[in-house]
Order: sequence, then structure tokens, then C-alpha cells
Amino acid sequence: MIVLKTEALTKIYGEGDNKVTALDNANLCVEQGEFVAIVGTSGSGKSTLLHLLGGLDRPASGKVFVENKDIFSLKDEALTIFRRRKIGFVFQSFNLVPTLNVYENIVFPIQLDGNSVDEDFVNEVISSLGLDNMQNRLPNQLSGGQQQRVAIARALAAKPAIVLADEPTGNLDSKTSQDVLSLLKVTGQKFSQTIVMITHNEAIAQMADRIIRIEDGRVCTRGQTPSEYIGSDSQRRIPSVLSGQLSERIIKGGDGND
Amino acid sequence: MIFTDKKILERLDRMLDDGINGTFEESDYDETQLSKLESKWLRYLTSSKLSAQKIEQEREKIQELVSDISHQTKTPLANILLYTQLLQEQPLDEQSLQLVNEIRQQSEKLEFLIQSLVKTSRLETGTFQLSPSQNEIDSMIGSAISQITPKAESKQIQIIYTPVSCTARFDSKWTQEAVFNILDNAVKYSPAQSDITVTVKEFELFACISVEDNGIGISEDELPRIFGRFYRGQNVIEQSGVGIGLYLSRQIIEEQGGYVTAESKVGSGSIFKIFLPR
Repeated sequence: MIVLKTEALTKIYGEGDNKVTALDNANLCVEQGEFVAIVGTSGSGKSTLLHLLGGLDRPASGKVFVENKDIFSLKDEALTIFRRRKIGFVFQSFNLVPTLNVYENIVFPIQLDGNSVDEDFVNEVISSLGLDNMQNRLPNQLSGGQQQRVAIARALAAKPAIVLADEPTGNLDSKTSQDVLSLLKVTGQKFSQTIVMITHNEAIAQMADRIIRIEDGRVCTRGQTPSEYIGSDSQRRIPSVLSGQLSERIIKGGDGND
Repeated sequence: MIFTDKKILERLDRMLDDGINGTFEESDYDETQLSKLESKWLRYLTSSKLSAQKIEQEREKIQELVSDISHQTKTPLANILLYTQLLQEQPLDEQSLQLVNEIRQQSEKLEFLIQSLVKTSRLETGTFQLSPSQNEIDSMIGSAISQITPKAESKQIQIIYTPVSCTARFDSKWTQEAVFNILDNAVKYSPAQSDITVTVKEFELFACISVEDNGIGISEDELPRIFGRFYRGQNVIEQSGVGIGLYLSRQIIEEQGGYVTAESKVGSGSIFKIFLPR
């Protein structure tokens, strides 16, 4: 099932001589439960892309579909509510509310939406992220890595359609980064949460199931999804099995693979 | 009027919450719209619960079937292998020998495939329970390496490993198998006389075992697919294998709350990393 899709997404900043095409006709697809990394150098257009995917900004042309809903057909107010319900954000600067404790921070977006908290699920998320013993602490009593784990828990707790992570380890040292990313990956796996992570760091991108590259505002890798892979793969296999080379191979002593 | 609207909405919200939590019950039976709605809601919940159960049953049936097929083919296959060996001992001309050899190789491959299928299906059905506990990584890797050494030596491949004292939470037996499969893959796709480097790195919450080879590498397009069941690389058709090792490895590791990643450059080699929770 496709959760996120863009169609010819284009964003232009400025006019006339100052015109910059930050994003040029970007097409991509993300399936339910996938962990995708979008990689690009600074100025490649990846932040622009993230802002558009999250409905934080509007494109010059093109569309973004989240759970089949064309999000830019929504008016600003509706878009804000849609974003709150459907998208979980994890930012480089953890953006926790300093006066709320860990638990309160995690359930804050759920309560903001006037919903009752699914205690069992939230507790499971909390313990998956190793935050059981810190629930009553305030953000300033936590290390950077712990704060980011709280931010991940907050993003997951509301069961959004997509978690968008913008350089989630940008403010952490490399050892802590590895742990935080591991937890992001493992919890994503556990709750089949779709995650789209933006980063400039190749090594970090390798954590993802799939990498989408962006250069000069263009999406470089084919936006293939796993099911499309499987499709193309089986198409590739069948003919070679059916072809009459089998007997030939046996005589030659090949092992008849594939 | 506004007051009653609010009350009705609150009631509906509760109905949905109870539905989600699986605790919904009809409150009253009367001629109101709300009472009819309650009945409809319960009908919907019951039918979706039933279809979920049905799907679960179907899934179990399929897994049972896989398990039956795997189990029932074991004996005839063992016999085929036995007769092939007997046939090989007969005086045969060159072409017949070659053919018998082929039969043996293919039967061995089939045996491996079936064994792997039994393992995956038993892991999936939960017949095999992984029991992770705090263990030394070093001894587990040591066993996996000694298991692969004969195969590596036959290709004059050297496995470089510097033991590090580090613990993590894992099931020794199964994790060893997962590491072995990844090593096996590395040996298979590395040129003769090359090196494979195994390193262990410690983090606060995870431990990472990385296996680095100088093999043929995997293209970025193919990388997301290599952990799929029965997936075989485009460039490895001439290599023997069934494409189940990495799938099994990933299943074993994920089952224990860890994960596996792969990075690669075509022509210069691959790095597989296993992350285990601590």
C-alpha cells in the first residue's frame, strides 16, 4: 500500500533573475512500513522536499498525496489539522516543551487533538525506546540522545501515517547518533511505521531500507517501491526458467540456477 | 440543541474508543437513531473481527502446508541422495558420471533449501522460540567463523577478526546461524585469496557486528531486495545458492529486536552490519 506519493512536485523561490528552482519535477513513492532515506548535499532541495511532504509549505506545481489525499487541495486551516493527525515530525533540534515532563511531552500532540491516550500503545512505545525510567524527568534533565528518543516517541505515539525525520541526529555525537538511529529503525520495524528521513550523511542513510537521492532539485534514483521490485524481479525470472536452455546447462555442467 | 449535539458526539467518541479497545457493548435497545447506530457498529466490529480471524486461520493453514511439505519431502530426498551416492560408486562412463554428479549437486541444493524453508516456517509460526539472553558476542562469532573456515580456506580467503569483549542480548544458537549465513554470503561472492574482516563495535544501547568483504558488490538498485526471500543478485547467477540465507538472517535478528543493514559498492565489496540490542 502506498502511503506517500508525489507527482511532478516543483518549488520555485524568487522571481526573474533571482529565480531558483529548488525542486524540479520530483516524483517518488513510499510504501506502508518502509524506512526511506532522502539524501542530498546542502542546497540540493532536500529540505524543500521535506517541507512539501509535511505540508509545511506549498509547491509551485505538482501534488503530494498522503494516504491518497491530495494535501494541497486542503485550505490552510484544514492542512494544519491534517498535518497534526497524519504526520509525526522529528527535528534536528528536539523541540520538546521544556515545562512538560517526558510522558507529558509524548502524549501532548494526542491531547492537543482532543483524543484519549491509548495507554498500552504509548507505554509500549516508551519502553521500546528505553524511556521507562525517565518518564517524570524534564527535558533539561536529559542528554541530547535521550531528548531525541523522547521526540521519536512523541512522533510515534500518535500513530501518524508518516514520520518525517529531518536530520534527526544532526545535534548528536556519532556514537549517540548510532544508538538513536538504531532505536528509530527498530521501533519503526516493530510498529510498521512508515519513516522518511532526510539527511546529508551517507553513512546515516545506509540505515534505511531504501535511499532516494536528490541533486540540484532533482530526484536521481528511480522511485521504485519494494512491490515494484518484486514485480520486475519475477518478470525477469520466468522467461529464463521457461527457456529451453535447461537441458543445455545440465550437459555443460552449469548448476541451473535462477 | 447544541448541548445534545455535544452529548451525542461524546457518546459516539466513546463508542469508537470502545470499538478500538475491543470492549464495545450495546447500551440500550430503543427506537432512537443512536440505538440503531450502536447495533450497526457492533455488526461492523464483529464482521471485521471475524475476517481478521479468518485471515489468521488462512495464514496458519499456509504455514502448516509449508511445514508439511518440508517435512514430508525429507525422507524421499535423503533416499535420492543415498542412491545417488551408490550410483556414483558404480563403474560409469564419463558422461554418466557427470550427470550423476549433477543429480547429487542439485539434490544437495534442494536439501539445503528445504532445511532453510523448515527453519523460516518454524520461526514464522513460532514453533522455534528464540530465547535471547545476555551473552558474550566473542564466543558466538568465534563459532560462526570456525564453521565457515573450511569453505573460506578452500578459496584461500582469510577471515580477519580481532576479539573484543562485549555483551548483548541474543540467542546464541540462532544468532550464530545468522552470522554464519552472512559470512557464507561474503565467502561465496569474494574472489579467491581476498580478505573478509569481522569487527565488533560497542554502543550504549546496541552492539554492531560488521562483516566486510572485497567481493563483487551489490548495486544500489538491488540492495533493498537482497533480504527478500529467494532473491538472487543479477550478477551472481553462476554462483550456487537459493537466496534464502540473508532472509533467514534478517528474520532471526529482527525477531530479537535488532536489525541488519547492507552497504555496498559494485566492484569493491560489501559491508553487512548486524545490530543487536544490549
